[in-house]
Amino acid sequence: MKIPYFDFRAPSTLEEALSIMDDYKGGARVLAGGTDLIPIMKYGLDAPDTIMSLKKITDLRGIKLENKEINIGAMTPLADLLSSHIIKENLRALHQAVEAVAAPPIWNVATIGGNICQNSRCFYYNQSKTWRIERPPCLKAGGNACHAVPKGKKCFSVYSGDLAPALIALKSSVFVERKGRSRILSLQNIFSGNGTAPFTLEKEELLTSIIVPLPDKGTGSSYVKMRFRPSVDYPLLSVAASVSLDGSKKIKETTLVLGAVGPAPVVVAAAGKLLRGGTKDTVDFDALGEILRKGTQMVDNLALPGSYRRKMIPVIAKKAIRAAIE
Amino acid sequence: MKKSQKQLISLKINGQEYELAIHPNRTLLEVLREDLTLTGTKEGCDDGVCGTCTVLLNGAPIRSCLYLAIEAQGKEVTTIEGLAEGERLHPIQQAFIEHGAIQCGYCSPGMILTAKALLDKNPTPTEQDIKLAIAGNFCRCTGYNKIVTAIKAGCQSAEGGQ
Repeated sequence: MKIPYFDFRAPSTLEEALSIMDDYKGGARVLAGGTDLIPIMKYGLDAPDTIMSLKKITDLRGIKLENKEINIGAMTPLADLLSSHIIKENLRALHQAVEAVAAPPIWNVATIGGNICQNSRCFYYNQSKTWRIERPPCLKAGGNACHAVPKGKKCFSVYSGDLAPALIALKSSVFVERKGRSRILSLQNIFSGNGTAPFTLEKEELLTSIIVPLPDKGTGSSYVKMRFRPSVDYPLLSVAASVSLDGSKKIKETTLVLGAVGPAPVVVAAAGKLLRGGTKDTVDFDALGEILRKGTQMVDNLALPGSYRRKMIPVIAKKAIRAAIE
Repeated sequence: MKKSQKQLISLKINGQEYELAIHPNRTLLEVLREDLTLTGTKEGCDDGVCGTCTVLLNGAPIRSCLYLAIEAQGKEVTTIEGLAEGERLHPIQQAFIEHGAIQCGYCSPGMILTAKALLDKNPTPTEQDIKLAIAGNFCRCTGYNKIVTAIKAGCQSAEGGQ
C-alpha cells in the first residue's frame, strides 16, 4: 500500500508551524507520531497535498508540574508519559490508558496530541481501497450511505482514542493555538459528536498542550479497556473513572467517561448523583448500568456487535469504579 | 517544492551513512528494502499491527512501515543486518538458533531487534518484562514460549560477556 504523494514541511518552531497552518488555510495535514495518519493514507482514505510534521519542534515535548497543574506538550511520546513519575504518581487513569494503547513500539512514536486528535473509526471505513470498492462510499468517505446502519443518515464511526476518556475524567483542558491567537478549552469540548468530522477545532488551529489539574489527595482514577488482543487492538469499549472520597470513605464526586461508544467520549453526568454518598460496596451497579447505557450510539461497526458492547458497559464501569476507589 | 519532486536525504543505517533521493511519501520500510536492499527487515501487515518491520531508531524499537524515511534523518537506524559482527552473531541471535525460537523466521528480525532494545535498557529482564517488550511482535509459528526462553538465555549470555 503506497502513500499518495505530498509536499513535506517540517518546521522547527511553533511560530513557523502556525504560519504554515495559516498559509494553507487548513490544507496542511498535521503529522505527529503518524501511527494513525499513515495507515489512513495507505488505505487511500486521505490524500493531503501537504503534510506538516511537528517532530522537530522540541518545545512541544515535555511534562511539567507547576502550580498544581500538570502541563503536557502535545508532541510528548507515549513512552515518555509512561516513564514519567509525575504521571504515574498523580494521574493513574492516564498512565493506565497509555499502557492500554497498542504495544511498546507504538509508544516510542505515538504522541499524546496525536492520540487525542486521532480520527474516528468504523469497520466499514478503515479498510483498504480494494475492500471498500465493493460498496458505495459511506458518509465518512464523502458518500451518502451508511453500511453499519442501513438508511442511517448520520455517521456512527467510533472515537477510539484511549487517552481522551482518561484525560476528560481527570478534568483536563487543552491549549489550542493559531497564528496570533490562542485559547484554552475543556478537552471534552474539542469533540463535535459528528462522526464525519469528529473535532470542533478550526482548520488553522493546532492543539499544543494538555493541562491536567493535580487531583486532590482523596481522589483516585482508573481506565479499563475492553478489546480482543491487549497488545494491538483499539477499544471495543472503555471506561475512565475518577472518584473522590470524603473523610469517612464515602463517595463525594465521580466523573465517569465512556470511550468507544460513539463519535465522541461520553461523560455520564447522572452517574455522579447516583454514586454520591455511597461506598465501594453499597453502589447500585444495576441502576448505574441503566444510566450508562443512555446516550450511547453503539451500532454494529466494530469487531463486536453494538448490543453486546452496550451490555458490557456496566461490567466495565464496575471494574473502573472499584479500581478508582482502591 | 512540488509534491512530485524527490528530496535529497541522508540516513545513518547500521553505522553507515547513505545519501538518497526519495519522495517524502516513502516509508522507512520501503527505503530499507527497495532502495538499500536491506531485506532483512520484513514487510508483514504494512499497517502497524504485526511488528515484523521493527527496526531500532536511536535504540528504541519502532514500526518502520509507519515511519516516513524522511523523518529518520539525523537518527541512528539499526536493522537486523547491523547486529552481527562479521561472522559472530549477537548473543540473542545465537540464542534464537540454540533454543529453536525460529521456525519460518519471518518475525525473527523484528523479534530479535525488540529483544536487543530491551537488553540494552534492562540487562536482566524478568519473564514479564520480556513478554511486555515483545507484545507488539506477532509470531504465528512458535507459540512464543521458545522466543521468551531464547531472549532470557540471550540476555544471560550477553550479561556473561560470551
